[in-house]
This record gives sequence, C-alpha cells and structure tokens, in this order.
Amino acid sequence: MSMRDVKVCLLGESGVGKSSIVMRFVADKFKNALESTIGASFMTKTIFVEGNTYKFQIWDTAGQEKYRALAPMYYRGSAAAIIVYDVTRETSFHAVKGWVHELQRHGPSKIVIAIAGNKCDLEDLREVREKDAQEYAHEIGAIFCETSAMTAVNIAELFDAIAKLLPPEDLLGTSNQMGGGSTVNLRNNAAKKKSKCCSGSDTEAASQQPVRRSLSTPRGSSSVTYPS
Amino acid sequence: MGDKTLETEDIPRSVINEDEPINKSLTMLPWDRFSNWIHCACVVTFDLELGQAMELIYPGHIKLTDKEKMNICYLSFPDSNSGCMGDTQFHFRIRQCPGRKPLVRAHSQYNRDCPVTLQLDDAHYYGFVYFRQTKDRSIRRGYFQKSVVLITKLPFIALFNQVISIIAPEYFDNGEPSLEAACHDIDQWPLPVPGDTLNLPIMGSVIQVRLSCRSDKLIGSVPPKYSQTHSIPAHSILPSIHEVDIYSSFLSILPHVQLLWELVLIGEPIVVMASSPTITCNTVQALVNMIAPLKFCSDFRPYFTIHDSEFREYTTKTQAPPPVILGVTNPFFAKTLQHWPHIIRIGEMGPLGSSPKLANKVKKAAALKTLDSNPGVYTRYKSFLTKDKAILKRLMKGSQLKRPVEAQNAILRRHLLELTHSFMIPLERYITSLMPLQRNISPHKGPPKLRPFETEKFIETLEQSGPQLTSGIKGDWEALYRRFFRSPNFEGWYYQRQKEVNQKLQLLHLEALSNANLSEWIADKEEVQIIDLILKIKDKLNFATHNHGLVGKESVSRLQKQLEDIVSTLPDDLQSVIKT
Repeated sequence: MSMRDVKVCLLGESGVGKSSIVMRFVADKFKNALESTIGASFMTKTIFVEGNTYKFQIWDTAGQEKYRALAPMYYRGSAAAIIVYDVTRETSFHAVKGWVHELQRHGPSKIVIAIAGNKCDLEDLREVREKDAQEYAHEIGAIFCETSAMTAVNIAELFDAIAKLLPPEDLLGTSNQMGGGSTVNLRNNAAKKKSKCCSGSDTEAASQQPVRRSLSTPRGSSSVTYPS
Repeated sequence: MGDKTLETEDIPRSVINEDEPINKSLTMLPWDRFSNWIHCACVVTFDLELGQAMELIYPGHIKLTDKEKMNICYLSFPDSNSGCMGDTQFHFRIRQCPGRKPLVRAHSQYNRDCPVTLQLDDAHYYGFVYFRQTKDRSIRRGYFQKSVVLITKLPFIALFNQVISIIAPEYFDNGEPSLEAACHDIDQWPLPVPGDTLNLPIMGSVIQVRLSCRSDKLIGSVPPKYSQTHSIPAHSILPSIHEVDIYSSFLSILPHVQLLWELVLIGEPIVVMASSPTITCNTVQALVNMIAPLKFCSDFRPYFTIHDSEFREYTTKTQAPPPVILGVTNPFFAKTLQHWPHIIRIGEMGPLGSSPKLANKVKKAAALKTLDSNPGVYTRYKSFLTKDKAILKRLMKGSQLKRPVEAQNAILRRHLLELTHSFMIPLERYITSLMPLQRNISPHKGPPKLRPFETEKFIETLEQSGPQLTSGIKGDWEALYRRFFRSPNFEGWYYQRQKEVNQKLQLLHLEALSNANLSEWIADKEEVQIIDLILKIKDKLNFATHNHGLVGKESVSRLQKQLEDIVSTLPDDLQSVIKT
C-alpha cells in the first residue's frame, strides 16, 4: 500500500460554496452562510481508495476578486484543482472557463481538473443546465459532477474520482521535485501541452489521464463523470 | 482515519484539520493562534519627508509603542552606505517596552519544555526582515525601497527566515491581500509544542519542522528521518528551526573559533563589523549559539544601528562596555566602538567552496581604524585554553575536499558542543553534590533547599574530576571557570538549576507528605499545629495545580484525602472556617 500526499486547490467565484464543499468533505458538517474566506484556508483529509492512502492537502482559496492574483501560489505544485460554480448562477459558470484557461496556461502540466456544479439541491433556481457543463468538461478533459455540500451529494465521490485519476507514475513518490529547476521544466511542459491542445488533438489529453472504469456507482442524483 | 468524525457542533473553520484534536481549539479566538507564533507583520517604507516610516501593521488591532515602531523602522533598512540592491534578508532584536501583558499561555508552556537556549524572552522581540531595493523611475527618489518585517518573540531563526522569504516577495507583487492571506495561514498553525513535528501551511505550501525539546539527546543524536512520501514540490522540510550556518559565518576567522567560544562563555563585550546586516546577524547568532546547551544570558543584537534606542547606553565611554554582542554595518561604529575589547571584522562571504583567506593572527584592537580593515579578530585577550588544532585541520581538509557545508557545520557544532559539555559536566556534578539527602526530606519539616554554591569548594573538585576527563584540550581551565563565575551566563545557569532542584525537592516533599501517616501524627498535637499542617498541605496542592504534569495524580489525590481526613477531625465551627 502506498501513501501519497496530494495538494489540491479549490478555485471559483465568491459564494459558490468552495469552503462548504471542503467542510463537508473534511468534517462532514454543513453551516449556512459561512463567513467569506481570507486568502485561503488549509485543511487535510486522508482517504483510502483501491488500496492506496491519499492524504489531501486542501487549499480552499478565497473567491473574492482582491485575492485573485494570489491564485498561482495555490495551484503551483497542485496535483489537482477543483473548479466550483453555482448551478443557480450562470455567471459563476462562465468564470469556470477563465480558471480553466489560466490553469492550462500557467498551471502544472499534469494537473487533474475537476469541475463541480454546487448547490444542485436548489433545482428550482437552476440557471446552468447539467448537460452544458458536462459537455464543456468533456471537451477539456475534466472530471465533472454536480454536488451539494448541504445534502452531501457527490462530495466524497468527487475526491475519490480525483484520487483515481492522479497520474500513476507519481504514486511511488520517487520524484523529488524541489527548487526552481523543476518549476521551469513544468512551465515548459505546460507550454507544449497547450500547443497540442490548440491543434485539436484530443487523444493527447486523454492519454495523459488514463481512464479506469472500475468505479463503483456513486450515490446521489447524478454521477461523477470522468474525462474520456 | 478517513472517516474520522468531529463531535463539536460549531467548528471554527480555521481548525478543520484531521490531524488535531478539535476540542482543544474551541476556546480560541481569531488571531489567538497567530499570536502564538507572531506578534505582527509590518511594512516599512521610505518616505521622502519622514525617512523610514511604518506603512502598515497587520493585524490592525496590534499595538506597538512609538519607541518600538521607531526601532523597527530603523532596523528594517540596511544602513545607507551598504548599497544593498535587490533583496536583502536579515533579522534584528529589540527591547519590548515595559508594561505589556505577560507571556501568553502557549508561550509559558513552550518555555517549560523547550531547551533553555530556545526559550523565548519576555523582554525582547525578534524582527525578521526582507528588504527590497530596485531602481524605479516612477518614484521621485528613483528607487523602490521597502521592507516586510515579522515581529515575534520566538527565536526560530531558520523558520522565520524561510517564512519571510515566502511572504515578502508575494507582498511586493500583490500587495496587502497577500499579507492578509499569509497572516490568516499563520492563524491556522498548531501550537508550538516542543518535541512535536509540525506542518505549517503558508501561502500554498507546507513547511514541516520539528521543535526541539529539553529531553532531546544532544550528542550522538541522529536528525529524525522523515518519511519519503513528502516529495510534492509544495512541501518543504526544514532541518532545524533555529540553527544558522555557523561554519560559513566563521569561515574567514575559523582559527579563532575556540577563542571566540571563551569570549562568549565568559560574557565579554563583542562587536561584529561587516558590510551587510545579513552577515552581522548570522555571525552574532552563530556566536550566541556557540555555547549551547548553555544559554547565552546577556543581550545581543544581530543588527544594531546608530538610531537604536539603546545606542547611548551601549556605546558610552564613561563606563566599561556592557557584556553584549552587537552586529554593526555603519562605518561610524568603527570609531564609536574603538574602545571595545573584542572586535570581529568579517569580509564579504566568498563564493561557496573557494578557500577562504584566513585571518590567522589575532590583532590588537588599536589596529582597527576603519571598517575597511582586513577580516579578523581584534583583541588583546589571551585564551585560557590551548588551541585545538585537530579540529581546524579537519575543517580545512573538508573545505579542500569540497565537503558540503551541512557536514562542515555538523563537525563544528559537535566540536563546540563537546567543548561546552566538558566545561559544564564538572559544574553539573558539583551541583548534584549540593542536593540534600533523601532522608532529610521529612513530612513534618519544610522542604530542604539546595545548599549554596561555593566557588572554592568547586575548584577543589577540578583536580579529581575536571574537564580533563572528557576533553584533551590543555590550559588553565581553573582561571576560565573563575572568569565564568563573574558572567551573566553563570548566573543564569545557576538560577535555572536552583529553580529546577528546588522544584524537584518540593515534589519529593509532596510525595513524602502524601505517604506519611498524618492521622497518627496529629493525634497528640495542638489545634494550632494541625492548622499549620493543613495550611502546609493546601500550599502543596496549590503547587501541584501550578505544576500539573510534573506531579503524579495519585500523590495529589492521596494528599487531598489526607487533607479531608485531618479537617474532619476538627470541631465543626473550625471546619467551616477552613473550608471557606
């Protein structure tokens, strides 16, 4: 059995429920009207998936615009990013695309991206169709699910899916990337990847994130979809 | 682990961390955790009209006195002549203005269990500075000059140097929100508990560090091995929380290391002169750390300027120089401190691995006229001990072989540690001989005290069991001890030992009292004597509550039972008086 530290960051507009998702995942609690996050909050949570132990180091970033410039600190070195929007707020879904572009341009090359449409319990107020978001996620090769931090729908499944999609070669923890040198390399890779994306090669992205289909059926109204 | 549930209903969100018991943090207010680590963060800027000025103090509710602010402002910039373009990092130490709140609880608990050399000092603050100076045409002065400073009481030199090197560049790029974010991160840090390995999140990365504790073995200890899984780039492991690169700091004056050890041990006034505060602060810190595990008990200022509020006090010529260690960069000091008995001049740090030009001869202090003088140690002091040439050879060889600095540091540190141990072992042994005998501890008398330290009696023990037993270094050890007895370091050590021994004796006495057959003893006693005993027991129980953790629970409950039994033998009216 291997133990792996996984840095994850949550990105997305203010008020979409990033902190609530983390609180549900880490403490299985929900609180109405959490105060807004300053800078970022740090939390850890360990889970077991398919015989492996994953210790998530979660950086829950502040959604307010004034902290926007700090985001690179949090996605730098992240193995995964969860971009959250609010299904009842169309604008928050548009903001997702901005984050995806930023990650593709400046984020780590092998970062696993997950898109979460939160507050799916508020069906009456829905502004974003699940199908649209799903299609977009599929297009960019991201994990997708609709979540509800309030009713605990798809929260654990979201993190399970991330754990399953982490590039396996890092699982042994042999790569000791520290210092500036590796950062430069990562940037170069990111640039290469981007150029491939532009040429329309979808298979390239898929091969970087191998799909494993041995997944248990998640509970909740809808399921987590994996990039294909 | 993954399914760990939390029982508390209303969890402050900053403490959601599965690694920690949540309930212990429930009484925490915002900024309580922050204050356990840092007093405040400051931004100091250069104002054309005012000179150095405080631009920002964060968090906003923190108060600094005008004097503290002034000291922080002046000490956060390098002295004018040094022309530090780019980024410069250093630290300073200032006096806290009197009349402040006493140590917070986390700090007194920390002080109780940490090595004495790493205790925090109620009267001083450290300031960790990251200064940036760049050409900027848009500013009237033509330069951007600003410092970010962390003010703290904790002597964690290595940790805070690392932290400020993460925070400050982000601040220069992104302004106040980044400082806010950093302070918020620190407000989530766990308590500084000696012996714990802590994960400290800061701006998207995690610093892992272990806090030393008093029971750590000093010689022959292997640094703890960390598991290999922490290899993600955002996770850095700090090998030590407080140590500076002592080898590189002393590189140009290596042949005099042992002489310097003597000077620091006996608390002589020393000034370190160099062109940059980075060099002076590392050298001063290296000097102070030289005599570990003995605590350096005088004042020291890793970086000291002419604007410091203690400038007059420390540079006066009407009195002998105070027993302090100062680091200075302003050429003005070459003159002001000309009368100081021991001056260390450090040149620029050479590129790594280049063989240093060694200042082999000790120079007369009078030879030092300006700051441009050659690196070296300027003193008339004659060492009491003969120089250990073997260690020097070993280090020189290592430098030729390009041995890593960490290894050179380990060799030098170990050598100094053994030297200090050889010096202290006879003193520790003598102190033990001053302990009263176990059989002198009687439940019916007060607790015995440590017998007084008599220097001549101690000197007599040297022939039989002096430092020659553990050290090959020859010389006049006796004279060195006599000088040491006049130093604040001896005073501090003796006070600490007295405190520890008397506490231990209190404990043994409490133990004896709880085991004694008191009901039999009071049978033929006057009421007055019984009341006296009751008060004595209450006093002991009071001691136990103040030192809980040290006193065994069984002894305390036994003693409590004893107290109840005795009180119940008294007449009713007296009982009610005693219970109130």
